[in-house]
Amino acid sequence: MKTPQSLQRQLVYGLTLGLVMFWLLAALVSALVVRQRLDQTFDNAMLEAAQRILPLAVLDILDREETILPQRVAPLTTQQKGFSYVVRDSRGNILLQSFSADPAVFGPLALSGFASTATHRLYGTSALRETLFLQIAEPLAYRQTAARDASVALLLPLLFLIPASLFGIWLFVRFSLRSLRGYGLAIEARGVGNLSPIHGGRLPAEIRPIADAVNHLLERLRRALESERRFAANSAHELRTPLAATLAQVQRLRHDAPAGPLQARAVQIEASLKELSRLAEKLMQLAKAEGGGVLAEVPQDLAMLLAHVVADLQRTTDVPIEASLPAPGSVFSLIDADAFAILARNLIENACKHGAQDHAVEVTLSASARLRVVNAGSIVAAAAGAAARPLRARGQPRRGLWPRSGNCLDHCQRRRRRVAAGLTRQRQGGRVRGRGAICSRSAAMIHPPVAGALRGDLAVMATPCLPRLALRLRVLPSPRGLGDRARRNKAAE
Amino acid sequence: MRVLLVEDSADLGQAVREQIAEDGHAVDWVQRLEHAALSVRSTAYDLILLDLMLPDGGGIDFLRKRRAAGDATPVIILTARDQLSDRIAGLNAGADDYLVKPFDLSELSARVAAVARRYSGNPNPQIELGGLRIDLSHRTIQRGAAMIDLTAREWALFETFLQRPGALFSKAQLEERLYEFGAEIESNTIEVHISHLRKKLGFQVVETVRGVGYRLGTA
Repeated sequence: MKTPQSLQRQLVYGLTLGLVMFWLLAALVSALVVRQRLDQTFDNAMLEAAQRILPLAVLDILDREETILPQRVAPLTTQQKGFSYVVRDSRGNILLQSFSADPAVFGPLALSGFASTATHRLYGTSALRETLFLQIAEPLAYRQTAARDASVALLLPLLFLIPASLFGIWLFVRFSLRSLRGYGLAIEARGVGNLSPIHGGRLPAEIRPIADAVNHLLERLRRALESERRFAANSAHELRTPLAATLAQVQRLRHDAPAGPLQARAVQIEASLKELSRLAEKLMQLAKAEGGGVLAEVPQDLAMLLAHVVADLQRTTDVPIEASLPAPGSVFSLIDADAFAILARNLIENACKHGAQDHAVEVTLSASARLRVVNAGSIVAAAAGAAARPLRARGQPRRGLWPRSGNCLDHCQRRRRRVAAGLTRQRQGGRVRGRGAICSRSAAMIHPPVAGALRGDLAVMATPCLPRLALRLRVLPSPRGLGDRARRNKAAE
Repeated sequence: MRVLLVEDSADLGQAVREQIAEDGHAVDWVQRLEHAALSVRSTAYDLILLDLMLPDGGGIDFLRKRRAAGDATPVIILTARDQLSDRIAGLNAGADDYLVKPFDLSELSARVAAVARRYSGNPNPQIELGGLRIDLSHRTIQRGAAMIDLTAREWALFETFLQRPGALFSKAQLEERLYEFGAEIESNTIEVHISHLRKKLGFQVVETVRGVGYRLGTA
């Protein structure tokens, strides 16, 4: 995937390049116009010079006794540059010439008007009914020097203007995009579970519709998740209440029935109802795992949640559970409280179920958010996790699934995907790594990248005899730290 | 104990009432919150079993109002909402325990007894009274190696005395704690139960304060 381009950089480079191109074009046109004006000016100067020189030359030639002899005008200064001229008769004989005049420059024949050679600009005119001809020559180099000096004068400021424009445009674009940048930071700084509307500040009119659309989308998503949670709660109520009523009635029936076949039948029905209740509970947990509400909007206190889960299981499980938890309020994560409870409950239940019944299950949550569930027992068959998968794929229950295995590995996997967490399973005596499904035999470790600078580990392990599970979750600092961060973001906006 | 059961499901309510009554407690069963509010205003209950999703409102709000009004009656929530967040919300609202449907009636009885013990100030279910060893959780009484059997009513009456040792209970108070609304009570029912307790546990186990009532003695 290509790295997204910076809008600010694009605007700065584009505007600067465009500006420079226009300046260069303007400078080029200006240089051409200047060159044309210079040529006209120099030509006019040659014309005026001819008009002044010619009468004087005619008088000088007419006053001569021997008109045929050529004469050279003495220079007024030793540094004669610019014009040179010759005066010829109708046969082309040179009668008068300036001191620096080179007859080769003028050619053998007299001309009338302007002409150019490779090195000079020429002007010719006549007098006395075209019996005397005056030709003036000016080196082209003189004009080229003047044109070059003018062009340099035009282009030289660009060397300073281009960097200055680049900096000015960068400053202006940065200033103009500050609200957009603040909006981006506000989105980036909020947690993945935060679905509250994003405050757009003073966004440009072009961006405001996008921000409104994002807020509408977040609102719809929040409502959808809320509806899903409400539906799950209502479904639980609708399903559990009749089950509870039936189970209670059957238990009363068993109690009241005399010892014999009727009481035995009541015991059977009670056992079936309990199994049905357990299955219903697992199905609802799966429904929640499929849902989107796995991330919470506010950080959750994992120590407090885990304490509740452990206390609940200690009352219902025969296997002793020894918990070692940090003080409440010390470990926070954005995982949904109920999702975490289902996850932890499943892991501990399975550790109790598959572990040795005479050994305590150890539940440890460290201050660095590493949760370990340790039991003693045989290794869980990979099929225990894999067997649960066809149910999700086909959406139909499979006979005998639940009694054989819990679905903790599947829950771990699903929740890991939804919270971008890492999950590690280790076997005793070696560590196998690979990417793939957690429940498969060969894929033992999954560690997708965890986004954000604030990250930590929440590891779930079952050792030494169970495969060891490690789940990486995004762990946040305390709400106090989050508050500081929120204030910084607000200040940045 | 006098127990208020707030449960809208008829089948479940009936079974729970029978179970709690069989444990020897007096149970008043209502199916709506407004009836529950009337009941708690008219009667001092020792325990409330509260469903959360009722036809006329949520049990959590009812509980919050009771706690805000200074009512310290123990409350066990019976609900189908199994989410941990619901449980925490219930406990934060002032509930003493939380039982998720479907539940074992024996589990309910155990929770009721545990909450009652906690409120009596002695959470330890093992009590020594004279020569008697009493296990409240298993409802057993031993004198030496001999087990002594009590009926449910006798247990409930004895438990009432055990919960508040030294406290005097009038006959009317004892009737109120043992019998629900509308129960037909003979005028000498309490005396009969106390007589049975004395026969089984010893004459000194319940002392009579003439003209006032009864209190726990020494076995």
